[in-house]
Amino acid sequence: MNALVLDHVTKRYGDHVAVDDVSFVVPRGVVFGILGPNGAGKSTAIRMVNDIITPDSGTITLFGDVPPGRHAAPRLGFLPEERGLYPKMRVLDVLVFIGELRGLSGKVAKARAGAWLERLGLGAWQKHKVQDLSKGMQQKVQFAAMLLHEPELVILDEPWSGLDPINAEVLRDVVVELRAAGKTVMLSTHQMEQAEKICDHVCIIARGKVVLDGALADIKRAAANDHRVTIASNTQPWLSISLLDDPAWVVARHEERGELTLELAPTATPDAFLKALVDAGVSLRKFEIVTPSLHQIFVARVGPEAATASRVDPRAGARS
Amino acid sequence: MIRPAWLVVAKRELSERLRSKWFIAVTLLGPLFMIGMIVVPAVLAHSSAKVHVAIVDESGIIGPRLETALRAGGWQVDARPSDTSEATLMQGIRDDVIDGFVRVPKDVLDDGTTVYKGDNATSQVVSYTLQAQLTRAVQLARGARFGMDDTQFDAILRSPRFVAEHTTGTEQTINGTAAFALGYAVMFIIYLSILLYGANVLRSVIQEKTSRVAEIMVAAAKPDALLLGKIMGVGGAGLVQMGVWLAIAGLLVANHTTVLGWFGVTASFALPSFGAGDIVVVLAFFLAGFFFYASLFAALGAMVSSEQEAQAAQTPLVMLLIIPVMCVQLIASDPRGTPAAVMTQIPLFSAMLMPMRYLLGGATLGELLLSLAILCVGIAAVAVLAARIYRVGLLAYGTRPSLRELWRWLRKS
Repeated sequence: MNALVLDHVTKRYGDHVAVDDVSFVVPRGVVFGILGPNGAGKSTAIRMVNDIITPDSGTITLFGDVPPGRHAAPRLGFLPEERGLYPKMRVLDVLVFIGELRGLSGKVAKARAGAWLERLGLGAWQKHKVQDLSKGMQQKVQFAAMLLHEPELVILDEPWSGLDPINAEVLRDVVVELRAAGKTVMLSTHQMEQAEKICDHVCIIARGKVVLDGALADIKRAAANDHRVTIASNTQPWLSISLLDDPAWVVARHEERGELTLELAPTATPDAFLKALVDAGVSLRKFEIVTPSLHQIFVARVGPEAATASRVDPRAGARS
Repeated sequence: MIRPAWLVVAKRELSERLRSKWFIAVTLLGPLFMIGMIVVPAVLAHSSAKVHVAIVDESGIIGPRLETALRAGGWQVDARPSDTSEATLMQGIRDDVIDGFVRVPKDVLDDGTTVYKGDNATSQVVSYTLQAQLTRAVQLARGARFGMDDTQFDAILRSPRFVAEHTTGTEQTINGTAAFALGYAVMFIIYLSILLYGANVLRSVIQEKTSRVAEIMVAAAKPDALLLGKIMGVGGAGLVQMGVWLAIAGLLVANHTTVLGWFGVTASFALPSFGAGDIVVVLAFFLAGFFFYASLFAALGAMVSSEQEAQAAQTPLVMLLIIPVMCVQLIASDPRGTPAAVMTQIPLFSAMLMPMRYLLGGATLGELLLSLAILCVGIAAVAVLAARIYRVGLLAYGTRPSLRELWRWLRKS
């Protein structure tokens, strides 16, 4: 069963289409990344899943048969991009409050809040006001608030924005742990490096439309180019390797930081080229078939100008 | 026990307020203020008995009369020779031998000005007493010119006894001034509470926006539930406070003789009754009026992004609230008249004006219930509008929406 299905979902703000006929499926038990530049419609999509705003058309289904809203809320955890807690409330009280809002009884919420604070190393701060905590500590409390009701699907909107490196690590551990426990995590980010490290499945959105959707491994395999290799050699200079000037093998080359990236001729294969290099007595330090990074795939798909597109019409939650 | 979201929110809002030092301080200071309202005037009236003045009579006819009259009122009076210098008298004031002195001119019977100088000339009681007794003394002296003796003329001058009693045909009659004072006090307390707690709702919405708690909240519960919970919680705190105040006010009024006794004042004056039924009416109208205005304040809070912006934006609402305060005379001068009857049925004003009119006996129970019913319908209508604005506005930051945008918010949600 799938954790979340978006089926032809559209949301407009005036003339601006924030989310344009978007469909994707989040399978259970995966870490699902929604990637896209600022203003692509990621937050709008996430807000619709959380029933903060309603789609103009299309349907959203959670856990097989639950629409967003009252029945889904107790099974969802959400860390918004802009997040805060009541500054004057005591840490424990604020956690119990949010737990109760998500449908826990006061007693259960209190027990779990205490346990979470211990786990995050904030046990001694239970009775302190939120405003007395450092920003990093407050972020940890926000993680606990999101997970207190043990949600099946956890949604993180730009989770790394504003996080210090230590808490970024804490959050990554939490995500890995959630996946190990069979929970589903959906996160949005424009930081491709972070996504590449943690996501099983990605969906790239640009200008409100899905441009690429699939398992990360499949996407990378598909984007891999059998005719592009990177080599590094102890044999210097490069020119002494005559094979590199032979158009039967190499049609283009590019040198960067002591490494050569080569475009092989259509008739050549990496295996044969490697054998030819070894036979020619070249001493190799590195030989690699180039797999593009997620960032390169992203730029290739959405274009450099879209990758940096700014958000449009900030009114009424139409942000990113 | 698993509670609905609005109740969770209401509980948080209520406990936050009940625990705040400000709330506790204001709740306790209110009754102190009320005790002061009863005791201070009585004590003042009492202490004016200890006034000590000197009389310098240049006319030779007013002095003894004034002296006798003031002594009869419990004042201490010294008659000084007419050639006593100003400096000597001033020294007397500086040394605190006397509080002040009256200089009666030669031509006092023919438009000469009598001057009082003293360290208590600011006292209404002192200047009123002096003027009244001087007038009486001058009138008696003028009578003597026409050969009337003081006793005869005094008999002519004596004021007839008069009292205005407020009644609407029932057995109960009360002193008109006291009834007005009570009605006015109730109106003012309701007005002030709605304004304070309404502004409190506004501020708390803005704080949720600026601290970005709103983002976490709206994912966990529907904005309608958040709005309802907030208003219920803040209203609950207001109800607690006003309940405490009214109960204490009722006790004070019922036992005012005892309370005054604590301060050594034995005077007793007739105060209108203020029973449990009246308290229920006042609380009901306060709550209804609060819900009405708090919804508007909450919607306003959702429309703005900072407290500074809110200051400007709330002006129209505050103006609306002031209208009933300005209409007090309209109700008081004719509680059963048509203007009063109409004003107390309009939901914008009825919360403040109806309890007053009812306490003045101007409204029947039927009119009271009708007004409350109309107010409840008004609340429902306002709540629907407010919830729509709240839903959209809570997550919108940046500039305040124009009227056209506001209309879009209302339509689309």
